[in-house]
This record gives sequence, structure tokens and C-alpha cells, in this order.
Amino acid sequence: MNYFVKGNPDLCIGCRTCMIGCVVAHEGKRIFEIDPDSYTFNPKLHMVKTAALSVPVQCKHCENPACMAVCPVGAISQKDHCVVIDTDKCMGCKSCMDACPFGAINMVPVAGKFQADGTEKKVANKCDLCTGLPGGPACVRVCPTEALTLVTEEELEEAAEAKRKKAALNAFSENYPQE
Amino acid sequence: MRKELGSFVLGDSTKCTGCKACEVACFTVHSRQQNQTGKTVGTVTVPVTPRLFLTKFEKGCMPVQCKHCEDAPCLNACTKGAISRTDHQVIVDPEKCIGCKDCMQACPFGAIALLPYAKNGRVVAQPMSPEPKVFACKCDLCQGIEGGPACVRVCPHEALRIVDPEAEREEKNIRAAEALLLTKNWR
Repeated sequence: MNYFVKGNPDLCIGCRTCMIGCVVAHEGKRIFEIDPDSYTFNPKLHMVKTAALSVPVQCKHCENPACMAVCPVGAISQKDHCVVIDTDKCMGCKSCMDACPFGAINMVPVAGKFQADGTEKKVANKCDLCTGLPGGPACVRVCPTEALTLVTEEELEEAAEAKRKKAALNAFSENYPQE
Repeated sequence: MRKELGSFVLGDSTKCTGCKACEVACFTVHSRQQNQTGKTVGTVTVPVTPRLFLTKFEKGCMPVQCKHCEDAPCLNACTKGAISRTDHQVIVDPEKCIGCKDCMQACPFGAIALLPYAKNGRVVAQPMSPEPKVFACKCDLCQGIEGGPACVRVCPHEALRIVDPEAEREEKNIRAAEALLLTKNWR
């Protein structure tokens, strides 16, 4: 089963540190040293703020990903508990963006690359669980209120198992109140 | 918010009945730009060249058209510079197109067809050949046509819609955030 990062709206204060952590993890610390206009700030998660809540939304790394199913060039695949986009194969058709029910995918310009008519080349961008980076997802590490959690298959299964046991025990107690 | 992505029209195979009203409307509004044609099909003197293609498949039917890709393979493949991005959309200049078919091969959706080019009520001839001049015929999102995409307007089953990808993404983000409230005690 794929892993995913999950935000808790009760803990999130909407500070957007996760977005900066994400960009630093993928672009490097140079973003603090160079001219802000010379790179594109493209976090792979999206801060949602409404009157009722604030929480970042990112890819759920679905088990049957709709994005992967619609990609006409096979640029999306699953590996190492993660749904990943091969940005070299992507040609920006936005089909995945339309297919994703969470709005987890956006299109971002590729620095220094252009289409044949000189206009910006844009490709799909989404959470890759910081694959290959030491320490795991940067958003989880940098969140000051610990509002983000990496959920693994084991944890998810354990939680479901614990809930099943509790449900069974509750049902048992109802039938045999004296025991 | 600044519009940064090309919009596109998307068909819904659960609603489409395959009536081809979209194809006819598409041809009609585009043909009117360059040909003095009447308002009914019987008065048309040029080949019918729709820019979207009603496609029947094993499980149903739906129109297929251009996604106005952000790294458009057709645009990148066009050696003649006949395809360019205009106001975020991928647009073919039929005058520049020489019918090399590279864009048709590059498009992974089959959204481009090479169809006869007609102007002023007649098919454009080419020298030294009995065959008419063709051009890469694809959706231009009805640029310059009042009322927006004709296919969307005429579909009797509302099986076509215009997708503003970024706006829809943001709406979906909000729904996803609200769902997180329901699953916050997952442990």
C-alpha cells in the first residue's frame, strides 16, 4: 500500500512553512540566496484556508490512481509506496489535473525549458513523498505544530485493526455485561 | 487570479448520445469566419471540417478534442511554426500549415485531423495537384467567436463543459480539506 502525508486541520495554523519546506527540499537552500524572480516557487502541496479551517492538501497516493489511469503518455507510475510523475515524459495535457478529485496536481513551469514557440513549458507537479531525500517528507519535518503526519501502510492497518478490536469488544460487553 | 493555464473542453461519455451536434456546430461557427455559408447544412458548399471528433468506443461515445497541453507535443513537433500559443491556447495557423502530419502523430489524443482548407466558400486548391490544400484541424476553443465554445453551447445533453483547470483544482482542494476534518481521528 502507498504511504501518504496527512494534515490535521485542528493543529494547522496556516503558516505555510510546509510549502517552503517542500520547495527547499526539492530546489535546495539556494532559494534563500538567489533573486526571488530567478526561480519558480512551486510547492507540491496546497494550503487551503476557509472560514472554518486551514490545512495543507496534498496527494493521497491512491492505490488505483485516477491520474495514472488517464495519463496518455504513461508518465505516472507507482513505486516505493508512492505515486510519482516522470516530468521528462509529461507534456502538460492537464488530464491528471482534471482526474484528481483532491486538486493535488498543478502545472508548473520548468525553469530554463521552453516550447518550440518560445513560451513556457509547464508540467504536472505533485507530492512525491520526498522520495530519495534523507529524513522523509520535508513538510512533516518542518511543521511547527506537528500538524502533518506520514501515514504508512503498517500504521493504517494497525489503526484499523485496533478499531476492529474495540468494536468487537464493545459488542461483546453489550451481550455479556457481567464479564 | 491571473489565468496561467490553457482551458479545454471535455466530453462526458456518460451523457453523450453521439448526435454529433457538437461537430456540426463546431464546423458551422468556424466556417462562418471564412466562408459565406448559410445557417443550414443544405447551404454548405465546402467540406465539413469539425475540430472535435465524436468517437465511438466499446462502452459508449464521446467527443474527443484538444487538451491545449502546456508542453504541447504538436506545437513542439511543428517545424513550420504553424502552431503557437495564443492567449494560453494552442492555435494552428492554417495559412502556414503545409500538412506534414507531424502534429497529428505527436498528439497522444488523436485531437488533430488533416482536413481540406476552405476559404471564401471554396476549397483552397494547390498548384500541381488535384488534391485540395489541407490543414491541421484542431480545437481552438472558439477563439474570437462570440459566446465561447460552440460545442458546449449546442450539446442537447450538456455532455460538454469548459474546464478551467486551476479554478477546478482549487475547488477540489477545499473539498479535500473539509474531508480531512472527518478523518482527523483516524487512529
